[in-house]
Amino acid sequence: MSVSAGDNIKLDWDRQEDEARLEEFDARIDRGELIEADDWMPENYRVGMLRMAEHHANSEIVGALPEGEWITRAPSLKRKLALIAKVQDEVGHGQMLYRVSQDLGKPRDAMLRDLITAKTKYHNVFNYPAPTWADVAAIQWLVDGAAIMNQKSLADGSYGPYVRTMKRINMEEAFHFKSGEDMVLTLMSGTPRQKKMMQEAFDRWWNPCLMFFGPPDKESVKTGPFMRWRIKTATNDTLRQKFVDRFAPAALDLGLKVKTYQRDAQGVVQRNPDGSAIWTIDEALHPIESEKRWGFSQPDWDEFYTVIRGGGPLNRERVGLRRFSYEQGAWVRRAVLGRPTGAPPNRN
Amino acid sequence: MTDLADAHKKPLVQLLFSIADDKLVLGHRNADWTGLGPILEEDIAFSALAQDDIAHAGAIYGLIADITGGDADHLAYGRTANTYRCCDLVELNDEFDWAVAVVRQFFCDHFEHLRLRRLSRSNWTKLRQLASRMLAEENLAIGHADQWIVRLAKSTSEARGRIQHAVTKLAPLTPSLFEPTEGMADLEAAGVYPPLEAPMFDAWESMIANVIDETGLRAEFRAPAKDYVGGRHGKHSADFAAMLSEMTEVYREEPAAQW
Ligand SMILES: [Fe+2]
Ligand SMILES: [Fe+2]
Repeated sequence: MSVSAGDNIKLDWDRQEDEARLEEFDARIDRGELIEADDWMPENYRVGMLRMAEHHANSEIVGALPEGEWITRAPSLKRKLALIAKVQDEVGHGQMLYRVSQDLGKPRDAMLRDLITAKTKYHNVFNYPAPTWADVAAIQWLVDGAAIMNQKSLADGSYGPYVRTMKRINMEEAFHFKSGEDMVLTLMSGTPRQKKMMQEAFDRWWNPCLMFFGPPDKESVKTGPFMRWRIKTATNDTLRQKFVDRFAPAALDLGLKVKTYQRDAQGVVQRNPDGSAIWTIDEALHPIESEKRWGFSQPDWDEFYTVIRGGGPLNRERVGLRRFSYEQGAWVRRAVLGRPTGAPPNRN
Repeated sequence: MTDLADAHKKPLVQLLFSIADDKLVLGHRNADWTGLGPILEEDIAFSALAQDDIAHAGAIYGLIADITGGDADHLAYGRTANTYRCCDLVELNDEFDWAVAVVRQFFCDHFEHLRLRRLSRSNWTKLRQLASRMLAEENLAIGHADQWIVRLAKSTSEARGRIQHAVTKLAPLTPSLFEPTEGMADLEAAGVYPPLEAPMFDAWESMIANVIDETGLRAEFRAPAKDYVGGRHGKHSADFAAMLSEMTEVYREEPAAQW
């Protein structure tokens, strides 16, 4: 049996912390000071921060997969090079974030093992398929765009090593976003077939990107103390609104149509027999002048929870490919890291 | 020499295709590991090698386009299989065996280094300048491959066994590197592709032996047979057709379009 180092890393709000130290810690947070790895910190802060950094690291290396599949088929030398470099960046982000997580108390190998046994999660958005080249464009534009918004808010956080890593990562994400924008623009000014391909890919990614920021604030349980400690600095709904305000007009300018799920009169989401969504123009998508924001239809939150619980279109494949990579590389790690990493954990 | 003699154009294009195609295909194969490498740090390093190879290929296709017209992308993606001049070794599918990937890289990098060294002494200025620039990057790649061979061969018996197995499996494919392209002798005689002090195969084998001997691995290499006909004349391995069709899948949907 394999024991994950993550098993004893749990949030526990009944835990007794030293009152005086806790007070001093909270004061530091209030003064906007950065907390460093060797500083005293409440256990729940450490665990919350570790979970967030680990989830983020997992998301970077799983996020490398949907686009990585397209490297072999990239349609020009320039795109092929840029895509390899992009996916390489994401792996680099994963590496940096695993290092941040490691310093919070969990070894990298334990994190990789927990990832491939689905004990820990990664971003839901990467469980959706990327069946065409235009999906690569949509991912780099929308998903990297959403990631930038999220990570900019995280760069205002309180944990020094994570904040510095966010700042570095965000500079690279800006390149990804630019290159995505260029790809979307190229396809939308291309042949009718290319435009159609781009619209279909946009349809596949718009709603997953709305879900990217997490469930609506009222349903999001963990936000409270993490906002207080500035592990999180903006609410899910705030970030989602920011995303729509930025991307809805940009998409319309490019000639894209923004769609939502077809719903019946009661608002129940209608689906194809195979479970896939039926897309229809989002009639709620328009500027609301009085509120200085764009209106939009909410995604299907039932779908969100289904995917989170592992029932998304590609959860098995994504985790399976990470496991494949872990198993294939085990002998190399045994050889060069000079210590046993253990046999890969059992399937199931 | 700033202008290339007309008589040398055709054979030079063949030689340049062999280099660009080798680099494109090897970069393509190596990039399969991007996101899936055995160690995150090495995943990143190997991706960088793949990018160098593909960038070099692009520059050489650009040089070919200067001679023949057309553009680099169409030369890379828009040709029929039998006009590619890459060799069996770069075409080999490693099937996600890291030992095979590393040994393939090791054999190819040393060959590439020699080829670029020759080109960096070409009497055609454009080619000489391009090759000299690439040589510096190729030197880094060689160091990387050598280190991996030594590191793995000297570590666990498991790793050593895997590297030995890969060396034994790939050694018979190495003659494919040395098959001369059409008209190469003329380019050598004219100083466009000057020969080394020693024959290519001998120079390559001694560089490989330097590393192999340090590790105690066993390896035997044959000089290529005089009548060998392979990738340099458009006769490709079975792996190649599948690879090419995957590589050009999107491009072929709209070959005239911008992507
Ligand atoms: Fe990233
Ligand atoms: Fe990114």
